[in-house]
Amino acid sequence: MQRSRVRPHPAALCCMSFPLSLTPFMSSALTYLGPPFNEKDFSPPRPNSTALSLPSAATRLELWHGLENQARLAQNQKAYSVLLAAVRELARSTLCPALKTSLLHFCTGLDGLLGSISALMTTLGYALPPPSANMEMRPTMNDFAKKVEGFWILRELQSWLWRSAKDFNRLKKRLRG
Amino acid sequence: MANLVTSLCCVVLAAVVVAYAQRRSQLVARNQYERMGSDVTMQCGSLDNDASVSWKVNGTDVKAQHRLEGPRLVLNEVDLGHNGLYSCFQNPHGERRDTIYLHIGIPPRDPTVTCRSNTYPKGFYCSWHQLHPTYIPTTFEVDVQHNQRSLEVQKDPDHKNRCRVRFPEVFSSYPYKVNVTAVNALGKASTTISFEESSIVKPDPPERVTATPIRFNARRLEVSWQSPATWPDIDNFPLKYFLRYRPLIREQWQHVELSDSTSHTITDAYAGKEYIIQVAAKDTEIGTWSDWSVAVHATPWIEDPLPITSTTEVDFPTETKTSPIPSSNAPQKAEPPVGRAARLLTFFSPLLLGMLLLFM
Repeated sequence: MQRSRVRPHPAALCCMSFPLSLTPFMSSALTYLGPPFNEKDFSPPRPNSTALSLPSAATRLELWHGLENQARLAQNQKAYSVLLAAVRELARSTLCPALKTSLLHFCTGLDGLLGSISALMTTLGYALPPPSANMEMRPTMNDFAKKVEGFWILRELQSWLWRSAKDFNRLKKRLRG
Repeated sequence: MANLVTSLCCVVLAAVVVAYAQRRSQLVARNQYERMGSDVTMQCGSLDNDASVSWKVNGTDVKAQHRLEGPRLVLNEVDLGHNGLYSCFQNPHGERRDTIYLHIGIPPRDPTVTCRSNTYPKGFYCSWHQLHPTYIPTTFEVDVQHNQRSLEVQKDPDHKNRCRVRFPEVFSSYPYKVNVTAVNALGKASTTISFEESSIVKPDPPERVTATPIRFNARRLEVSWQSPATWPDIDNFPLKYFLRYRPLIREQWQHVELSDSTSHTITDAYAGKEYIIQVAAKDTEIGTWSDWSVAVHATPWIEDPLPITSTTEVDFPTETKTSPIPSSNAPQKAEPPVGRAARLLTFFSPLLLGMLLLFM
């Protein structure tokens, strides 16, 4: 597929530098989840539900280096689509009003980020992947299982924000050079 | 007849070999490790309980408090002074029956373990140490786990008590678990630490920091540096920098944070004052700041107060020097301003003298 000759507006790439920092938000979310989630070094096993649906930011270094621009953007686009839906669901099911507000506010940021990525892909002439089907009916989970899932969603979100910063830095260099 | 002779020879030979082997086993010392403060029993070979033996340590009599129980030597509440080569001799003929090298020590305590990545994203290293000495040889076994997989660990060839691990993947959400077990002849102890990839990233300090005055600018200093050589991929994993500077006469630092730049011009330096400057580095997203770089001293350009004639065009040497410790007092520049002025004065002093004489 022929790559578009249009150079993305530098502003589009500038937007990719992250004002979204998850750290202060993460600690309040963990406090809400309560022990043992807010304990140092706590790491529960990852539930199959997230492992299957939530794309992992982790990748082998050589693979990450070798990603083509389109694949790199597509991976980000897919990840944030899933994460946005997951965080929205977390916000919906949260009983604590302060956390609900924070989560929804964060969703706005994620939505904007997703929009920027999609816009950049369109500018570069890459097809946007079709929106994934709504998450299948999940088996009913007990409260603890829901918390573990929430924990992993936030963790994976943190990893993706960190990875995206590096992804966009690489994209910037490749598109300029 | 010949067969008999051969058999006899074989028997004699066998006897000689056995005797020699017995003597050899007595001469080869075996090691015995015992805990400090305990009572120690040393057994003389495989002699019967009613055997009578005498003991020597390093060739001399055993002076420490002890008692003899047949073929056994019992030492009480041993300490490092009891270390030595103990030999036992069977009475009454004094044949040496055994040699024991006694080592007093203590079992290991839980080691202290820290891990760090200064070569992100290639890998990380873990270091450990014992807070208390054990006095006997102690080895360390290291095991690293990530996402339920064991990672390959390599001993660091340049550093004692350190090992290196390659990151199996980057941007991982799973923590790493490092277990270090200290083992010696008296026991073992282990420590496990757990961390996320992002939290251990700490680059080495920036290198080749230089600070140069800018000609005709009395309040400026041009600072530049390089990213640490150990950071493997500066293009894809850029660093941001933190610069701090102060005049030697002041205690308070000025700070500047810079992204994506390895140089900076200080524009608010006090004219004529010597400055000390340092730089630190950090990955743009994760981890912690490096240690401060080696300190650089520099003084901004000073306007020469005396008129310079064409024959005395003095080249102002650039005033840069690196020092390992940020010392505030050592004047070590090649040609300090005072020295330069002094040189000019010695040229002009005959003139001044002449003028003084005129006015007298």
